[in-house]
Amino acid sequence: MSDLATPSVSAAPAARRLPWGHLWRQSQAVVRLELRKNFFGRRGLGIYLVALSPVLIPLIRFLKPGSLADEPAAEATQFFSFLYQIYALRLALFLTCVGVFGNMIRREVLDRTLHYYFLTPIRREVLVAAKYATGLLVTIPLFLLSTVAAFALTYLPHQGVGAFLLDGPGLGHLGSYLLVTVLACIGYGGVFLLVGSLFRSPAIPALAVMGWEGIHFLLPPLLKKISVIHYLQALCPVPMSEGPFAILADAPSPWLSIPGLILLTGALVAISAWRLRGMEVSYEEE
Amino acid sequence: MSAPASDNRIVYENVSKFYGEVLGVNRVTLSVPPGITGLVGPNGSGKTTLMNLTAGLLRPTRGAISVLGQTPDHPEEMFRLVGYATQYDAFPPGLTGFQFVESLLRVHGFGRVEAEELAWKAIERVNLVDAAGRRVAGYSKGMRQRIKLAQAIAHRPSVLILDEPLNGLDPMARAEVIALFRELAAGGLHVLVSSHILHEVDLISDQVVLIHGGYVVAEGEIGGVRDEMEEQHPAQVLIRCDRPSLLASRVFLHDHVVEARLLEDGGLLVRTRDADRFHLLLNEVVLDTGLAVETVLPTDADVNAVYEYLISNGGKS
Repeated sequence: MSDLATPSVSAAPAARRLPWGHLWRQSQAVVRLELRKNFFGRRGLGIYLVALSPVLIPLIRFLKPGSLADEPAAEATQFFSFLYQIYALRLALFLTCVGVFGNMIRREVLDRTLHYYFLTPIRREVLVAAKYATGLLVTIPLFLLSTVAAFALTYLPHQGVGAFLLDGPGLGHLGSYLLVTVLACIGYGGVFLLVGSLFRSPAIPALAVMGWEGIHFLLPPLLKKISVIHYLQALCPVPMSEGPFAILADAPSPWLSIPGLILLTGALVAISAWRLRGMEVSYEEE
Repeated sequence: MSAPASDNRIVYENVSKFYGEVLGVNRVTLSVPPGITGLVGPNGSGKTTLMNLTAGLLRPTRGAISVLGQTPDHPEEMFRLVGYATQYDAFPPGLTGFQFVESLLRVHGFGRVEAEELAWKAIERVNLVDAAGRRVAGYSKGMRQRIKLAQAIAHRPSVLILDEPLNGLDPMARAEVIALFRELAAGGLHVLVSSHILHEVDLISDQVVLIHGGYVVAEGEIGGVRDEMEEQHPAQVLIRCDRPSLLASRVFLHDHVVEARLLEDGGLLVRTRDADRFHLLLNEVVLDTGLAVETVLPTDADVNAVYEYLISNGGKS
């Protein structure tokens, strides 16, 4: 028992000597704990199902009796563009980010477990960054896998798929979709991390964000710039028609879209960290 | 407990906490030394608020708190010193008892080997080794209390804050846990324990802080608090004997006895300003008269009586 009774200062990790190493260890520990709590059990099941759902539609199409083999790969290009931009990006990835990032802090409050983190010697900025990183570690591989699988199932039945992929723009398209997927996880992750730190329930603000992103094509050019989809859409390899009522605006260049989105996300994560830094734990009020 | 701020004390300087217009605690000024300090008060009196303020989970609306010279503004320093077993009966989902303790040690920054070693030591201390591999969700209330305690002591804190730590423990476990508190306090730790069960605190505390309605109504060693109020609040002793009327007539001759009342059930209730002198007097009467005494029962010598007295007198000590 005597060792437990010994004051801890000398026994604590040497944070002063190796601050970065110490912060890295703490971040890793948070990531490990978050994965164990939220994504390795039944809790993660819904997220996995939604994330992998974009594969179902091309799978059904693939399994459907008929002669897709007679159709050219260009058909598949239109089909996949629609599937990716309307369903995978705007619905499945969006909702998964709401579920993963929007609950990073809120769920801890609902579960009454946030104080366990707050009572450890971890800077709250590091805690937020580690939680955000956990969300990315879950969503990015899931949606990369989902996108590759959906892409493969879409093109596989068509004639000339080999030439489209190897000699044509196929691999370039896939690369662009994967880049958009990563950026979408980063961007929506930042948005919903902040939403989760600001609101009791992320559902209503998430609907508002969804509405804003949904009417993006009707927004004037200036307002388009404050939607995530504006930058993502510009990076998609196949443009999608937005209908006769769309207000046209110049698509931002990739050199603006990518760093712009990352900078914006950095700001959102920083605001979330600032929110958490001043946060008190008083579950009774929830 | 009114020493100036020190690096070896938990110091509250005129601390108030309001939830909107609702009072949490008001104008608390204390300096808590090492040892076991009992924080006593009924539900809603402000105990948990004061503990949460101490641990930095809440920020004071006014005033300042320092824990061994550290404040929650510097969590890297302060939370190495503090372990807190809260009253919240909630745990991260899906974890075993061992994973719960070990994972949070890793968040502290300990490496894997050291975290595992510390986790096992803490789990051993609360006698939960056999259940450490089971999920916390399947634990009994008493086991959950003990694993929380293990988590709070695992990083070897200098200040241990325990909110109602004996809730749900069976008598054997209570005895073990109380022994652990004493052991920790003997090692120089500050152990701050809250309870609304006054008898518990009376048993384990070196000093007490009585809190009611958000105000500290008394503080100090329990005996000292009792002595301070004895003048205004005489001690009560119930005696059952074969000749209560005779005893009443004899004791009433003495000035420290302010009341000797015969009860309907044959008992005699004596109120005295000096309990020690009364007990000597009782011995004399028994020797003189051959009185057959069945029971001598102090009815208000514990912290409950102190507490009742203080809060019924305006809550100011």
